[in-house]
Amino acid sequence: MKIITKLLCPSVIACCVALLLPLAVQATTDDTQKTHKLYEENCASCHASDLGGFIAPALNAETLKGRSATSLRSLIMTGSFDTLMPPFYGRLTDDDIRGLVSYLKATPKQANPAWTIEDIKASIKVYVKDETTLPTKPTYQIDDINNIIGVAARGKYGRGLGSKAVFINSVTHKIIGEVATGTAAHIIDFDPANPRWAYVKNDTAEIFKVDLYSMQIVRSVKTGFNGPSLGVSRDGKYIMAGSYVPHNAVILDAATLEPLKTFELEGIDPDGKMVSSDSGMIIGTPFADIFAIALENAGQVWVVDLKEGFPVTKIENVGRHLHDAFLSHGGSKLMVASYVDSIVTAIDLKERKIIKKLEAGCVSHVGGGSVVEVDGRTLGFGTNFGDCDKMVVSVWDLDKMEVVKQVPVLGGTESPAAHANAPYVAVDIISKDRRARAVQLIDKKTLEVVKTLEVGGHAYFPEYSADGKFLYISAGYSGDQVVVYDAVTLAKVASIPLESPAGLFSHGRVRYMTRGLSPDDLAKRDGELKGAK
Amino acid sequence: MKLVIPLGTLMLALLSAPVVNAAVIYAGQERAAAVCSQCHGIIKPSADSVFPSLAGRDVVYLKAALVQYRDKTRQSELMNAIAGSLSDNDIANVAAYYATLKP
Repeated sequence: MKIITKLLCPSVIACCVALLLPLAVQATTDDTQKTHKLYEENCASCHASDLGGFIAPALNAETLKGRSATSLRSLIMTGSFDTLMPPFYGRLTDDDIRGLVSYLKATPKQANPAWTIEDIKASIKVYVKDETTLPTKPTYQIDDINNIIGVAARGKYGRGLGSKAVFINSVTHKIIGEVATGTAAHIIDFDPANPRWAYVKNDTAEIFKVDLYSMQIVRSVKTGFNGPSLGVSRDGKYIMAGSYVPHNAVILDAATLEPLKTFELEGIDPDGKMVSSDSGMIIGTPFADIFAIALENAGQVWVVDLKEGFPVTKIENVGRHLHDAFLSHGGSKLMVASYVDSIVTAIDLKERKIIKKLEAGCVSHVGGGSVVEVDGRTLGFGTNFGDCDKMVVSVWDLDKMEVVKQVPVLGGTESPAAHANAPYVAVDIISKDRRARAVQLIDKKTLEVVKTLEVGGHAYFPEYSADGKFLYISAGYSGDQVVVYDAVTLAKVASIPLESPAGLFSHGRVRYMTRGLSPDDLAKRDGELKGAK
Repeated sequence: MKLVIPLGTLMLALLSAPVVNAAVIYAGQERAAAVCSQCHGIIKPSADSVFPSLAGRDVVYLKAALVQYRDKTRQSELMNAIAGSLSDNDIANVAAYYATLKP
């Protein structure tokens, strides 16, 4: 009854008004549509198409209740300092800004829009029809393709000329190529089986298949409206992508980007409620022909077998509001972060069950995670937003699955970086003040912070070059450069100007699986696994 | 005793004179990162924005412009508000910092 009443009232009023003032109503609807279009073109890549929030806060009648229109207007004009929110002064007229504020203050979060397998299929764009015409080796000088570091450059406005994936040779620290991504590039993943392919996903859920030899996009597909997750299977045959808007995930043929199967993301959450869910991380593993996907709101991890019908094994009750994860032990163990429970849950991908839930600081966000082997122990490093007072980086023994130490750091952290040949684990401080300019270095052996680098900008997403000799860090937001340090002396060796750089992705990741592990180790394990077959 | 303090202060001021210059640039860098770079960037503003580049601009011009914006003798709703938060020292520091940068 309640639902009917709710539905009836506005429509009755609308009908009456329509009868009385048909012209005025017509104008309002046109205005609303125009304003929503403005929102889609300027705001939605960060705040989400459904007004429900994505990498930036939700903007709708409920979340903006009580906020003054004047302060919202000036916030849009000047941007919000120490965040990614840019100044829209000069890009939007004052009337547009006022219109957006009234629209957002009056409009509820929109229903989950449909984006079906047919929509995905129809969105495929082919830029290079015949891939046999592509060069057979890189068209630039590079000793080893693993030396490539991909930068997700957001562009100040999350779209436009500055939004691109940029590829750097991490030996020379020079840009070797770039591809425009329309909206902010978010994640770059590499084909573990064929070194030439990279996959770039942007904040409006488009995926670009990039040929690294000729540095160009060969195909693209739009998998949803918003959502960062992307994984590549160990054989390079499949990719899987997941969305926040709508609540689905899709497996694509990696060669053609044709969608093969979509998955509605819903399930019983750890509190026993049936919920529709955002897609969290998606990961392929060298351990098996599977993808693992985290259902953020449902608190479940699904393991999808890459065989006929793509059957799913659901692991429930992993944690409240899951997000990202990393692999260990040849890719057979998956460490999944839970924001709300502030834990990392260890999952055995072989048995497909939870091993243990480990304490993980406060609002656990592990980024790509790091695993290092020190003195016979396998240590995992996990960052966390530190929104409560516990500002630590967690170190776990991944053989025994227990907490070794919680290392105090300056503030909240988002992503750790390590390398088998480098002495330090780097963590990015992301607290919303000047601390955000810093990256701290933890000694692998003593597990103490030994150095703080003042990188500038909003310094985040540290990444080592494939040889472990250099530490790359994005000076993001208004920092507008990627800064390179010597991994041992920590002296600054280079600076690469880029507009609002964010995630850094070394091609070397395909060799060492998780940052910090030795590539030889994985090769040995690979050999053993293959031998066992 | 009364004499010693001013003398000491004077000596300190004399000794640290060259250092003060460096401190100005550093303070300017801090302020620029916190106040200006959001729109103008450090080396250059966003290619998608309307904001002018400040790196390498004449220090006298930058100072004069900021003072005018602050005093509202030069009109801009946005810059009047932003410059309104800057002290004389801030203006000198920020202008000195941007003037030293290579565009």
